[in-house]
Amino acid sequence: MSDDSNEKKVHGLFAEYDSVDSLLAACRRVRDAGYTKTDAFAPFAVHGIDTALGIKPSKLPYIPLVAGLTGTGIAMLMQIWMNGINYPYIISGKPYVLSIPAFMPVAFEVTVLLASFGAFFGMWALNGLPRFSNPMFTDPRFDRATDDRFFLFIDAKDQRFDAEGVRQLFADTGSQYINTVVEDDTPKQIPRFLLIVWALLVGFSIIPALIVAKMRVTNSDKPRFHIFMDMDFSPARDAQQTTSLFADNRAMRPDVPGTVARGQLGDGLDYLTGINVDELSRMDSPRAEQLVRTFLKPQDDDEADAAGPPAAPSAEQAASADQTASVMDTTPWLKENPLEITADLLDKGQEQFNIYCAVCHGRNGKGNGLVNQRAQQILAQQWIPPASLHQDILQQDKYPDGKLFSTISNGIRKMPGYSGQIKTRDRWAIVAYVRALQQSRRASIDLIPADKREEITQLKTEIDKKLAEQAEAERKKQEEGEQQAAKS
Amino acid sequence: MSLAIPQGLDNTVEQPGERAPLVLGDTTYHDITESVCRVAERAPSKGWIIGFLISFALLQWLGLCILYLFYEGVGVWGNRSPIFWGWPIVNFVFWVGIGHAGTLISAILFLFRQEWRTSINRAAEAMTIFAVICAATFPGIHVGRAWLAFWLAPYPSLNLWMWPQFRSPLLWDVFAVSTYGTVSLLFWYMGMVPDLATFRDRSKNKYRRMAYGLLSLGWSGSSRHWMRYEKAYAILAALAAPLVLSVHTIVSFDFAVSQVPGWHTTIFPPYFVAGAIFSGFAMVLTLMVPARSMLNLEKLITIRHLDNMCKIILATGSIVGLAYSTEFFIAWYGQVDAEIFAFVNRAFGPYWWAYWIMVTCNVISPQLFWFKKCRTTPWIIVVISIFVNIGMWFERFVIVCTSLSRDYLPSAWAYFTPTWVDWSMLIGSFGLFFTLFLLFCRLMPVINMAETKSTLAKQYHMAHNDEH
Repeated sequence: MSDDSNEKKVHGLFAEYDSVDSLLAACRRVRDAGYTKTDAFAPFAVHGIDTALGIKPSKLPYIPLVAGLTGTGIAMLMQIWMNGINYPYIISGKPYVLSIPAFMPVAFEVTVLLASFGAFFGMWALNGLPRFSNPMFTDPRFDRATDDRFFLFIDAKDQRFDAEGVRQLFADTGSQYINTVVEDDTPKQIPRFLLIVWALLVGFSIIPALIVAKMRVTNSDKPRFHIFMDMDFSPARDAQQTTSLFADNRAMRPDVPGTVARGQLGDGLDYLTGINVDELSRMDSPRAEQLVRTFLKPQDDDEADAAGPPAAPSAEQAASADQTASVMDTTPWLKENPLEITADLLDKGQEQFNIYCAVCHGRNGKGNGLVNQRAQQILAQQWIPPASLHQDILQQDKYPDGKLFSTISNGIRKMPGYSGQIKTRDRWAIVAYVRALQQSRRASIDLIPADKREEITQLKTEIDKKLAEQAEAERKKQEEGEQQAAKS
Repeated sequence: MSLAIPQGLDNTVEQPGERAPLVLGDTTYHDITESVCRVAERAPSKGWIIGFLISFALLQWLGLCILYLFYEGVGVWGNRSPIFWGWPIVNFVFWVGIGHAGTLISAILFLFRQEWRTSINRAAEAMTIFAVICAATFPGIHVGRAWLAFWLAPYPSLNLWMWPQFRSPLLWDVFAVSTYGTVSLLFWYMGMVPDLATFRDRSKNKYRRMAYGLLSLGWSGSSRHWMRYEKAYAILAALAAPLVLSVHTIVSFDFAVSQVPGWHTTIFPPYFVAGAIFSGFAMVLTLMVPARSMLNLEKLITIRHLDNMCKIILATGSIVGLAYSTEFFIAWYGQVDAEIFAFVNRAFGPYWWAYWIMVTCNVISPQLFWFKKCRTTPWIIVVISIFVNIGMWFERFVIVCTSLSRDYLPSAWAYFTPTWVDWSMLIGSFGLFFTLFLLFCRLMPVINMAETKSTLAKQYHMAHNDEH
């Protein structure tokens, strides 16, 4: 090897040693001889070689320092911008732009990550690696530099370099093997086939990305292509389709046993409307037909909802038009409550009355509920006071139960209909209770069993007295208020 | 050039004024190269082939189960309301914990100049990386639609322009585990470069030489390179040391930052880190004790190494035991009904069996390491290490399942029952781990030759000084 190497350019000279100590001793001699472009090669990091060779400390630590600080900065700014500014996540009213404690973990991790990148890549960059072509590798003996031998090298570029002198110096240090290193003249270009393979790989790897990019900007009338079905894909079936999920293969399922559709309750139309429909059909067959259609056959939900049950004319029509008023009068209302009047029914009626009716009509039915009181206080301009239920025109002889039921169901004047809120049976229960309420104001003492009359009379006297006192107190208070108002 | 250390020397005995040798026998630099390279150069042994085939089959099974999961949905697991985390998260925490010993050995023991780490750090670091790969698999598939797992990255989702929620421990977890995986990989690879250069220089085969040549980046052993390399290694170790502590701390935040009784405790971070180191060392021992005899590395991985690791297991196992009792104390001391219930339920509720398996394996079994006989007998070490691994898996199971199964609403209470997919994935993850580890044993330097040689050089140096 050394024979034909004479023709090639000399890179330097190296000597081999078999122990750390002899290497260090040789290094010191070479350093003291004034050589500067030197290097030692060892299978492990030899401690003390830096002073023996005169190598300066590395600047490497600054790279991870800067990289780490950059990481902290990037992480904090990223979190603040993403969660605080660009898309604020506001949770429980906590600070969201600068929630430092919550941002610390990610900031720490990114700091460590970038600092590690700095140390790792910085080290390779400063070392000039990867470098696959190295003149040192031309001597097979140098393979032992990674096994158990130590090498000292002096570069031909060193000012004091002189092949014979260096060879002599190495021999003096007790080296058993000294050789000249020549420049590596093997072609440095990457082989053509590797370049072609690499180019092909890069080319093919772009194809999927290009396809995805093209698909994203292309309109298509076909459904989106899913490898895995997302939740926006619903395997719902149409009415007449088949399915394997059920034994009968029908996608449209029959009603669950016990299902009741609208109008299938089996209640009579009289019960639902408060009108004697048989008689109505004799008097006004179109209207009766309309009633039947509305209650028994809702053709279309939207339409039915919008129209509402037209059993009776709406409140305003009733109030304004004579014609409809006459309709109200001529309608063959049910005279009697179709339910059997029992104590339970009256209790139910009372309960429902106190929930729904008493707010306006008052618990005693005199038309002075809380809403009315408040409306009077604030002197609401368009307030139509609720009717007292004790008026003569509302008694059963003039206002049949069916009509009262219809009023509760469909409303009158400003009063809205309650058919949506109160069940049919409960509306009839309210009718029964209202009758009882009316009765309570007009009943004679004779209706009370003889043995309780005395008790009731006493109670009545006491209550009348209290009421009179209250009324007196109220009047005085009002007078005082007026006097004060007059003074001021 | 050799150093005569009697073959049968017991290097676990401390001699005053002397450092116990860490490389045994009449070993030279070249012997170290030989014994490590031989592992990768000779034809694989029968044991390796059988082991590899079994683990590779398990890995295939894991892959099939994951495909089945993707096709069918997460219902194939036993995760049911209210135990939505189930085994995937148990396995995740288990595997992440395993990884910690590797970084601890390579970084923290390096910073403390514990030279006995040199012959075990490579395998332990490899173990870290493979354990992190196993760990990362589970949350990846637990998200349900794993093909959208990239939504975890800080990237504005295509249609909503929303960013991830940076105040969630689950996102911290993504950053912690991925940083940990990356830094461990850098650390591991950087440590291997000089040894890969040794492999390259010993390769007879052209393609083998080319492959190792590419991997070793043209490493020549120049002392300037070595100096920067050592510096970079020390910096990486200094960065990895707090990192490894942060990772399991953040994993414990997944639990501790929530308000679930039994999870919402400040003790979790240190307790999780100790548990991670504990389980990691157990896994290192489970792997290294059989490996050192199968690969004939007894002179490099000596009884003293095993002894030291057993001591760490004893220490961390006792910390974990202390943490268990502290949890109970705080539950009583805090006087919060839900907390008291959570812990009483843990020990005496429907999962009592899991709790007591955990205590037996984690707290009681390592106490045997008080006896030197147990610390220096390889088969006892392996048995106890396997117990510790089982116990640490159960610890995560107990934490995840007992707290979740007792929801705030008693009507929602349930009992976790794993399905065959749960079992397959747990076993399959071991297939993944061992496949990677066995490949590593065949293809990469299992022991850090350069550092071991430098330890040997110090031993020479001391012996040399003694003569004079």
